[in-house]
Amino acid sequence: MRLYEFEGKELFKKFKIPVPESHLISSANEAVAAVNEIGAPAVLKSQVLTGGRGKAGGIKIVKTVDEAKTSAQDLFGLAIKGFPVESLLVELKLDIKQEYYIGITIDRANYMLVVIASGEGGVDIEETAEKHPERIVKKPISIEEELYTFDALAIAKQIGIPAALLKQGAAIIVSLYNVFKKYDAKLVEINPLVLTAENELIAADSRVSLDDDAVFRHSELKEMGIEMRHEEGEMTPRECQATGWGIPYLDLDGDIGMFPGGAGFGIMGNDFIHYYGGKPANFMDSGGGPTPERLAKMLVLLDENPNVKAIFGARFGGISRCDDFAKGVIMFLKDHGLSKPMVMRMTGNMWQEGVRIFEEARQASPELFKNVEFHGIETPIEEISKRAVELAATQKAGN
Amino acid sequence: MAILVDKNSKVMVQGITGGAGRFHTERMLTYGTNIVGGTSPGKGGQVVFKKPVFDTVTECVENMGADVSVIFLPARFVKEAAIEAIRAGIKFLVVIPEHIPIHDMLHVRREAVEHGATVIGGNTAGVITPGEANLGIMPDIAFAPGRVGTVSRSGSITYYVADTLTRSGYGETTCVGLGGDPVLGSTFNEILWKFEEDEKTKAVVLCGEIGGVYEEKATEIIPKMKTPVLAIIGGIFAPPGKRMGHAGAIVEGRMGTAKEKLDALAAAGAHPCKTFTDIPEVLKRLGV
Repeated sequence: MRLYEFEGKELFKKFKIPVPESHLISSANEAVAAVNEIGAPAVLKSQVLTGGRGKAGGIKIVKTVDEAKTSAQDLFGLAIKGFPVESLLVELKLDIKQEYYIGITIDRANYMLVVIASGEGGVDIEETAEKHPERIVKKPISIEEELYTFDALAIAKQIGIPAALLKQGAAIIVSLYNVFKKYDAKLVEINPLVLTAENELIAADSRVSLDDDAVFRHSELKEMGIEMRHEEGEMTPRECQATGWGIPYLDLDGDIGMFPGGAGFGIMGNDFIHYYGGKPANFMDSGGGPTPERLAKMLVLLDENPNVKAIFGARFGGISRCDDFAKGVIMFLKDHGLSKPMVMRMTGNMWQEGVRIFEEARQASPELFKNVEFHGIETPIEEISKRAVELAATQKAGN
Repeated sequence: MAILVDKNSKVMVQGITGGAGRFHTERMLTYGTNIVGGTSPGKGGQVVFKKPVFDTVTECVENMGADVSVIFLPARFVKEAAIEAIRAGIKFLVVIPEHIPIHDMLHVRREAVEHGATVIGGNTAGVITPGEANLGIMPDIAFAPGRVGTVSRSGSITYYVADTLTRSGYGETTCVGLGGDPVLGSTFNEILWKFEEDEKTKAVVLCGEIGGVYEEKATEIIPKMKTPVLAIIGGIFAPPGKRMGHAGAIVEGRMGTAKEKLDALAAAGAHPCKTFTDIPEVLKRLGV
């Protein structure tokens, strides 16, 4: 999960990485007081969980207090890649002599941490890596190692930090490495690290991405108000609802409700729908061995989503049993009811039993099943995908 | 012949007295897996399904000769448990739990390399050599002994692919669930090479998905293989930047889109498949 710039800088401060004096504001009215306190010229920076905000006009320099208010009003009206600006970081504008890049990430193919540094900061580092690989310094480190100051000094020297500031530069690199290790990060970046006219090194920006699966051991993050989120952007209301129920769920922009088994087929099932000309409305993962209650909740999410025109269901009973799957679907049909057409297939562990349970329930109350088509092992999953696309198209034409 | 595990492997279960450990130990035994014992600290001396429980892995290795271990423990205990097993001399380790911290897996991998051990997972359904041994949580029903190997980052895809192979008469030598996490104990190319060296495996199906770099790395080994490789990749139409159930399935910047992976694998000589029904057709064309 990605942190906002101001959150990343809070972590930097804890590790004595110098950052500009700043104020976080959530309305244009607060901009005047913030600039009064910090001084002008100041920078107003939109806090959004996506890259490229500078190019999108999300950063403004203001010379006076009056300018601060109008610029803040403009920024609060902005949406960057669809994400509305809800807070601004107000900082004193730095007098920049030189910009550097320092980053730490994981080389997953080689199972190493890597310190990446460059004398060219403030630009897209991936672009520099592609066009001028010689301008990038890379230092792989094994996870159990610490980053020694002598190694950091060598990196600082290679990227051209002036001799008088080498020790400070190395200390910042070591601290950044310690932030990475301490908080179970996947990526930490200072881009740019600024050399000011006053010959100080200051982290002008922060990018921090943490491992969701390690958040449990960092209770201090929660105390700082840092909660679970996507890598990019915030969650939709339906995604929040699903998360509350413990169901991995994403809203997509199509109209076929996806009710698959595990995550792997959740991902590939979406491809199948596309191959046959449809578009999924969501991604969802039942998790291993879901209970009937959980399966019923998954269907509630889809039935109550107005974008969903038809539902695609698939279950390969591994650990999860098809009789439980059938029970979950019947529980949903009885307690909630189905308002749109649904096609589904069951195979694997206990599939005949699942089909039998369905057949019995249908004979007992046929009206509950009027929108349901179910199949067993005899129908390939590709045929079920096609049928879901047809049902959604018919439904749309009917409306 | 098979890879990684067969009927002679002496298998132990770490976390054998827990709910999941107990449940799956019984299933694995029913399948015929040669389970010799397990561990649960503080419960040494107990017996589960007639198998002895030890406090430490070293005791299970010394007393029962265990050489393979399957871990059924909560994610936060995996780092300790895996390093314990590796240092006790276990050479093949299957890590079932999901949501293991990435930094922990880096430590485990380092330890495995240092001791010459193979680690599979985390977040895997396991490894099965049909008719001989089932390590993990895979459903018996999808599998039959045969001549095609599979290696996949997803359990459910393994089931669909194995079911397709079984029903089209090819069967499987060994099916390896690499795992769905971003940092895995083993890579595609390590497993592909084991299949290459296995005489009985006539073709391998590689099932990848969006995110990560392991599929791209496989392109280094495929041109060196005589055994044909089929490739199917999930997430061709996935949205960027969102987590889709598997932590590993995130498209990070320009790296690791499903389309790029499939193109790179095809360029390296793998045979791309779109849906499961393509697989037996390609095998037939290749004369497998």
